[in-house]
Amino acid sequence: MMPSKKKHILIVNQSAPYSSSNAKESLDIALAAGAFEQSVAILFTGDGCYQLLPDQSPEKMHSKNISQMLKVLPIYGIDKLFVDEQSLSSRNIVLLDESMTHTKVTQLEIQALYQEATTVFRF
Amino acid sequence: MIFSILVLGAPFNSQSAYSAFRFTQAALASGQTIYRVFFYQEGIHNSSSLATPPQDEFDLYQAWQDLKEQYQLDFVTCIAAAARRGLLNESEAKRHNKSASNIASQFDLAGLGQLVEASALSDQVITFGH
Repeated sequence: MMPSKKKHILIVNQSAPYSSSNAKESLDIALAAGAFEQSVAILFTGDGCYQLLPDQSPEKMHSKNISQMLKVLPIYGIDKLFVDEQSLSSRNIVLLDESMTHTKVTQLEIQALYQEATTVFRF
Repeated sequence: MIFSILVLGAPFNSQSAYSAFRFTQAALASGQTIYRVFFYQEGIHNSSSLATPPQDEFDLYQAWQDLKEQYQLDFVTCIAAAARRGLLNESEAKRHNKSASNIASQFDLAGLGQLVEASALSDQVITFGH
């Protein structure tokens, strides 16, 4: 049922992992797009960078672990994870979960990500 | 131009749902094509069949249903987002062993693949956020 026309989907994550359902529900879109073999890139910016922190333990508040869920993305063919380096430095985040492959990007590179995208979903 | 619309906001909670409705209505009135309207996150509340706004207020729920009938649109409500927020159609209510259903018949329940497909087949996806 999926058409052959391939689009470049950019998913922009700007929400902290457990303050709302945004992280979980944007991940679900990424997985659906990956399952339908669309080209997907994910950008973590603003408070969305907190999704990539190591050693999250949300089980104590009955949440699923977002960083563990993000690790399944490569299985769905999604390996383009980008992190806004300006957002990292303004939040003094120095340590990210290195078991996830991600690329730090500048404002200029973020512009290019938006330009390449045919569809942008912001959460 | 072929548009698809992504609605993430509930009526009354934000301007989002009403803006999405007005955009969809305006696009159709000017001869554009709406491939699909997809309701996700809090946007799923637009598909409630039970919401009853005061009679002297604009009834956005009814307005969506009328727009769908008038233009034979494709309205899809995300089945997972709806179930976790307490919106079920008859078959989902049966499947989850719940006592009632509350989704208007104008809205189909389906998965996020329908959003991905809409983005692949439309020139533009317009998101109306939280």
